[in-house]
Amino acid sequence: MTFQFLYIDPSSGSYLIQMIIAAILGSLFFFKNLWIKVKSFFLKKKNIEDDKIENEL
Amino acid sequence: MQQIIPLPTSYRDNAGFVFEHERKFYRLINKIYFPHYNKLMQSGLYKELTAAGRLIKNEEVDGNIFNAETLGDIKIILPEQIPFISYPYEWSFDMWKDAAITTLRVLEVALSKGMILKDATPFNIQFYKGRPVFIDTLSFEIYEGGKPWIAYRQFCECFLSPLLLMHYGHRDMAKFFIAYPEGIPLEITKSLLPLKSKFNLHVYMHVWMQTRVASKVKNDIISANNFSFKKLQVLVKGLLEFVMSLNIKIDKSIWDDYYTDTILGNEYLLAKKNIVEEFSQLIPFKTVIDLGANDGYFSLLLKGNATNIISVDFDSNCINELYRRLRKEKILNIIPLVATLNTPSPSIGWANEERMSLTERLNGDLVLALALVHHLAISNNVPLQKIAYWFSGMADNLIIEFIPKSDEKVKQLLLHREDIFSDYNIEHFKSSFNRFFDFLEQAKVGDTDRILFLMKRR
Repeated sequence: MTFQFLYIDPSSGSYLIQMIIAAILGSLFFFKNLWIKVKSFFLKKKNIEDDKIENEL
Repeated sequence: MQQIIPLPTSYRDNAGFVFEHERKFYRLINKIYFPHYNKLMQSGLYKELTAAGRLIKNEEVDGNIFNAETLGDIKIILPEQIPFISYPYEWSFDMWKDAAITTLRVLEVALSKGMILKDATPFNIQFYKGRPVFIDTLSFEIYEGGKPWIAYRQFCECFLSPLLLMHYGHRDMAKFFIAYPEGIPLEITKSLLPLKSKFNLHVYMHVWMQTRVASKVKNDIISANNFSFKKLQVLVKGLLEFVMSLNIKIDKSIWDDYYTDTILGNEYLLAKKNIVEEFSQLIPFKTVIDLGANDGYFSLLLKGNATNIISVDFDSNCINELYRRLRKEKILNIIPLVATLNTPSPSIGWANEERMSLTERLNGDLVLALALVHHLAISNNVPLQKIAYWFSGMADNLIIEFIPKSDEKVKQLLLHREDIFSDYNIEHFKSSFNRFFDFLEQAKVGDTDRILFLMKRR
């Protein structure tokens, strides 16, 4: 086990939870990307203004 | 010999600290942080983030001007100076949301250059030139492969908690942050969220599941080296998409139509606009403090003449709409702020010195107090002299509106309560303000009984 200086406390369970979330999201994104491709084929993107602002951030 | 003393706000990080010298704020970087700083500057990360306006610009300065050789091996940088420091508990929903998005975008770019953020607090964000900017240059750390994001829990408590409370609850719930400036504990957030939030996968994972895991796991796998870069990217992307999906219900607050109200209408507004314009040309000013700014009508009116305008209102709906408008129209010199004037943000943090009170931060050249005094004096029972004294601490000049008891709006305020305000009249108003100000001009607004004054601090 290696010890390192940590500037903030990551909190107990924080590493484990990130493992779980990354696993769930990883598989989710895979299917979501497929879905988006299908959906964008049929639907026009709405609220372009908001998207533009968010992309600038 | 100069002494370099860290600001009270700057004590947590051994990488360096912020100090003030001749009214400018500098950042001192300790030797321990040099490898990270060099990577930030040399990897192209600094260049990319500053070019996009996401990170504050710095210039390295010669430490000798501070006699800094006595401090050993250090670097000193001078960041671009931010004219007004706002705190997260003074932001409206979209300001919070944009601050969270900026933090995650900065993290995303950092990861692409082999660095990571070692903390994720909204105090690292300031609103400057019309957008959120990451100001803590020392937050970047060299990314060591295999490790998860150390600041993940902090991000959840500091950004997700307030955003979720506003999204599911009330748009003013971010004010809880004043009680929990280190982040609203997920246990507390969870207790305030409706059950339906559990059915949102992201809320379930980041709040419900996380609190459950945290209560069960006592020894975490800190030494784990099996968290791949890909996983980290997925986590950040997930957070980003989730934050972007959050919104608030736009409800009609009582102030939304204040200036389009039938009692007052366009004629009144036009007359008032003309007087404010005329008064503002008689005095020099750079920084304007617009108190009770409502939808920012008068802040917008003066935006061409001022360097900087701070628009304060207690109504987070109005301020949020103003913020959205500023972003859309790319208006760079107005800072919208949610604050209740009868209980302005206090000084909080360690020794009550870490975050300044709103009163300490409100320094300008001109205060606008339009259609405000009757609320402070009657709704909040603040004596006129106390109001005059408070305003006189903020700026040299004051444009103020007095609304007498004969006015419909004041009548409304007194409708359900006893009129204990026998001295709420123009004579007492004048004598109270005259203790601190000289009166330069006064004008009646249209055919109403309302009067605008231009005053100069004595």
